[in-house]
This record gives sequence, C-alpha cells and structure tokens, in this order.
Amino acid sequence: MNGVALFAISYDSVEILRDFAATHGITYHLLSDQGSHAMRRLGLINDRVQEDHAAYGIKPNARHVNLPYPGVYVLDRDGVVTQKRFYESYRERDTGTGLIAQALGIVTEPSVPVVATNAPVVTARAWLDSPTYVFFQRVVLTVEVSIAPGFHVYGQPAGDGLTPLSIEIDAIEGLEGGPARWPSPRRFTQPGLNDGLWVHKGIVRGTVPLTFAAAPGGGDHVVGVTVRYQACDDASCLVPSSVHLRVPVREAALVGRSLPSPTSMT
Amino acid sequence: MPLPPRDFNTIGPKEGQRFPDVRLSDQTGALVDLHERRAGRPALVVFYRSAEW
Repeated sequence: MNGVALFAISYDSVEILRDFAATHGITYHLLSDQGSHAMRRLGLINDRVQEDHAAYGIKPNARHVNLPYPGVYVLDRDGVVTQKRFYESYRERDTGTGLIAQALGIVTEPSVPVVATNAPVVTARAWLDSPTYVFFQRVVLTVEVSIAPGFHVYGQPAGDGLTPLSIEIDAIEGLEGGPARWPSPRRFTQPGLNDGLWVHKGIVRGTVPLTFAAAPGGGDHVVGVTVRYQACDDASCLVPSSVHLRVPVREAALVGRSLPSPTSMT
Repeated sequence: MPLPPRDFNTIGPKEGQRFPDVRLSDQTGALVDLHERRAGRPALVVFYRSAEW
C-alpha cells in the first residue's frame, strides 16, 4: 500500500470514524466531512437520494440527506483525476469495511475453480472469491484439497521429517499474501505410536487472503498456487508431494459508472 | 421504476482536472490536506455512504 495514498471521505464525525477505524484496523485516512460541505463544494452530493430511495422502495430517513454519490476518484502523482467511477443508487448495504470495498466496485461472485487432478491421492481445486480485483482489494483464495479415502495428510504441527499441508503463492509484484488458514487438524493415533499426529482427512479447505497492492494498471494476473502435502494411509506414507494451480484474476477497470459485471473466465 | 441514469461525467471533478484541495480531519482528529498528504503519490479518493450505517 506504500505506492498509493488512500482517502475515504464520508459525512461521519471524527468520533464515528475513530471507532470504525479501531474496529476494522483501518490505517488509511478516513476523512470526516461532517455537514458534507466539502462534498457539496465538489458537486458530489446526491440531492435525489430520497427520490431514488423511494424508487427502490426505501423509506425516507434523515440520514439520507447530504449523502455523496458513492464512488472513487483515481489521482495521478500530480493530483490530476485519471479515472472516476460512481454508482447510480444507494441500496441498503452492509455496514463496515464492506462499504469501502463496495465503493471500490468489488465483485462478489467467486471465480470458476481451477482443478488439478494430476497429483497422487489428492485432488486440488482453487478459486478466488472474486474473478476480478481492484487495487487495494483483498481477494480471498480458497484451496480445496480432496484426500482419497483411506488416506490422510499431515496438518500443523507436523512431526519431524513430515511435510504438513501448506499453500505457497508464487511471487507477483504488488501481490501480498497473508497466512493460510486451515481447519483444525484431527488427532491421529496408531498402536505403537507414542505421540499422536495431526492430520486432515476427506475434504479440507484452506484460505489465503491476497491483496493487490500495486498501483492501478497492475493488469491481469495468473496467481500461481503450490499446495504441498504428504499423504499416508494406515500402513505407510508416500513421499512429500505438491500440486501447482494457476488461478487467473483480472483487474477491474475503475472507469464507467456502473458496477462491473462478473468477468467470464475462458 | 428507478429514475433515469445520471451522466456522471458532469458530476464532480472531471477527468483531466486536478482534484480540488480538500482539508478535513481524519479519524485521529488531525487536519489532513489531501494533496499534501499524498506527498507526490497517486491516490484513491473514495466517497461512501457512512461508516456508521
């Protein structure tokens, strides 16, 4: 996030923004335009919001006065507007960080899964919770590992010399991957084995948050995902193995004035 | 029926214009000058409904 400054402007008071920032761990600038004077000066106040709401069947509400059109401006290094994107209407939306995400035009439909069946014992599928990204957007990668019946793979913590189930994201400039989260592994005990082992069986889904933090224009990517594991049955273990998936993601342009339509994957 | 769509090209600062100066308090209460704080970086300026509801 170092490359681009992010400002989010609303008519909320400093106190409300302070609470919101604390609750959601927001470190970028939430600017308080209480009274909406700056937004009005910018010509961004939607004076038709009550009519719009009526059109959408939403009852009049005192808080719906002096609202801006929801949208985003993209400024270059000189502060010149290079792109702007606004939405037509306010439908009731979730409170919270989702507001900013929605203002950024985030598509919520998941991408079409990519499947890898070429690995021993395990079939892996991977998809993103959005087929498109907007810079600053956090997209969640889900990796689903289906383990053949009778087998298990090691979870964390793995014993000495064993390879636990893990996800590695190939490096892409501007792409920041967070830690993978897996469901808790199960205790696996065997006669003659003093310490139990932590294992996964059946179908396991892990998630990795990905943030596209490069400047606008980062373009479309293929996110390379390596899933490492070691599969065993009750009698013996296979050598550690890995499977590689290539998950495409497209950059959503911040132009136009309507929500982006889900991108079809080819 | 929804109202007819607006032409957003005519609403707010336009593409190709320098974004106007904005000075507002941030969540810490500090007065922030948007262009000063950009410090030569590109920026995203998001307008949204409310953090409260």
